[in-house]
Amino acid sequence: MTNNGTRWAVLGVTAVTAVGVGRAVARRRHRHQPERQDGWYVVRRGVTVDRSRDGVIGFWTDRERLDRALAGWATLEQLDDRRWRCVARDRAGGDTEWRAEITVDGPGTLRWRVEDGPAPQEGRIELVDAPQGRGTEIRAELRYRSGPVRRVFGLIGGDDPDLALRDALRRVKSLIECGQVMDTRDDPSGRSPRQEKATDKVREKLMTGGRA
Amino acid sequence: MRALCWEGVGKLAVRDVPEPRIRAEGDIIVRVRASSVCGSDLHLINGYLPAMREGDILGHEFMGEVVETGPGVRRHKVGDRVVVGSVVACGGCWYCRTEQYSLCDNSNPQPVFTEKLWGHSPAGILGYSHAAGGYSGSHAEYIRVPFGDVGAFGVPDGVPDDSVVFASDAMPTGWMAADFCGLTGGEVVAVWGAGGVGQMAARSAQLLGAERVIMIDRFPDRLATAAERVGVETINYAETDVLEALRELTAGRGPDACIEAVGMESHDVGPTYAYDRAKQAARSQTDRPTSVRQAIMACRKGGTVSIVGVYAGLVDKFPLGAAMNKALVLRMGQMHAQRYIPMLLDRLAAGEIDPGYLATHPISLEEGAKGYELFEKKQDGCLRSVLHP
Repeated sequence: MTNNGTRWAVLGVTAVTAVGVGRAVARRRHRHQPERQDGWYVVRRGVTVDRSRDGVIGFWTDRERLDRALAGWATLEQLDDRRWRCVARDRAGGDTEWRAEITVDGPGTLRWRVEDGPAPQEGRIELVDAPQGRGTEIRAELRYRSGPVRRVFGLIGGDDPDLALRDALRRVKSLIECGQVMDTRDDPSGRSPRQEKATDKVREKLMTGGRA
Repeated sequence: MRALCWEGVGKLAVRDVPEPRIRAEGDIIVRVRASSVCGSDLHLINGYLPAMREGDILGHEFMGEVVETGPGVRRHKVGDRVVVGSVVACGGCWYCRTEQYSLCDNSNPQPVFTEKLWGHSPAGILGYSHAAGGYSGSHAEYIRVPFGDVGAFGVPDGVPDDSVVFASDAMPTGWMAADFCGLTGGEVVAVWGAGGVGQMAARSAQLLGAERVIMIDRFPDRLATAAERVGVETINYAETDVLEALRELTAGRGPDACIEAVGMESHDVGPTYAYDRAKQAARSQTDRPTSVRQAIMACRKGGTVSIVGVYAGLVDKFPLGAAMNKALVLRMGQMHAQRYIPMLLDRLAAGEIDPGYLATHPISLEEGAKGYELFEKKQDGCLRSVLHP
């Protein structure tokens, strides 16, 4: 450092840069935060399915086809007119089970509320005709309760309801359009079991998105 | 079974791996009879697209015989000789319905990498890294082909394996490149890259009506082969100023359409190329766009630049001003194999296109690493090494 002027100039530039970067990170973080309403986190996601609204509704009402499509991923059991039991399978073990009350509000609109699941949540699905004959937009709104600490741990562990919703919508689209959800985890490779396990972790991040 | 696996940047080895199994109703298992190396594999092998995992099986351009079918398969039966499009397409989404198969919504089970990199995820591709779904490739004795009714096509009798294998990728890619040009008859088309795809693009442009095709490369043997087999004019960029030569050959207009069939490891001579190499080595740009720059600068006003060479990420010094002010049409993409393969098989059977000469080096699976080395270094006149597992 040649003189005090240079020293102050470097310090000034560093401070301005630090403040600027900090503000940019905070803005970005703010943009990526889910909306809060009355203590609920609210996320809205949508997917376009290349089928008519009747086709999308028909997929859910044809139980035989639905069960075949969901095989290996989840099982659905109807308990009564409005209550369902769902078990989502996890290849690594530790299946997740919850019961949900599903209410049909009208043609193409339904609400659900999880009664005893991993986290309090409720949501709404709306089916809307997509423009230009592109099929049907499935628009979902998910509301869930979570504390800041729990949410941070959820994000770190990849257990984020927003990601789960996006993943579920992608799966639903795929099931309706081509009858299966693609999975390459059991394709042959020249990996050892240890390498395969590490690769499966990478695959899961690439399937569901890691942190949003 | 035996398979050629990626073992790290620049390293390949044949390993024993499990055989594939039917996983879904529409799957077929194909015993691979011919599987070609492809220039786009080099980007994966050399680590330019960082989505490979040790043990991944390479190969996406292949043909073979059906040995097992899922219960939902209707168009194929055991014993059928088939060629399979490299791109995996579900056949049920809007993109597949509109024949844009390489944009299939449902065939990449690991879409996050490409969604973050490109905004949306295109289709999965067999044997083409975890960015393209993590599917096992065709440099193996057997391969699982998802959506067999959509992606596999019966092969006409009498067409040899080493010809029909190129209907999997090089032919449809070349055809799509020419199709992008919107040729109506009488045009002058320039093609960068005299490899398999470039030569197929040149032949396709002729069949679609181009009056003259000019091919640009630096390897005299490749240019000579293209001149002899396809009937193109040639420019060796190591000896000639390409832009000057193209202006001269078109009496100042520039080519009506320019096809780029080189990709992200494009080569050139001079300081710009050194600059691109340095930036790519420092990972401050992922791709070297030398030939795209040339194509844009060479193309006539209002012409079309068609890009089928594979690019993965970011490029520097892209002449957007030239493209904008010359009102160029830029078209690009991975090929929609399933759209073009049936028509191309008919043309193969009729003898209108014969890509068999591209298979300069038929080799065994065990020689796969050597086959890639010959291909990458363009040694021994190698246009394509074709593996026979």
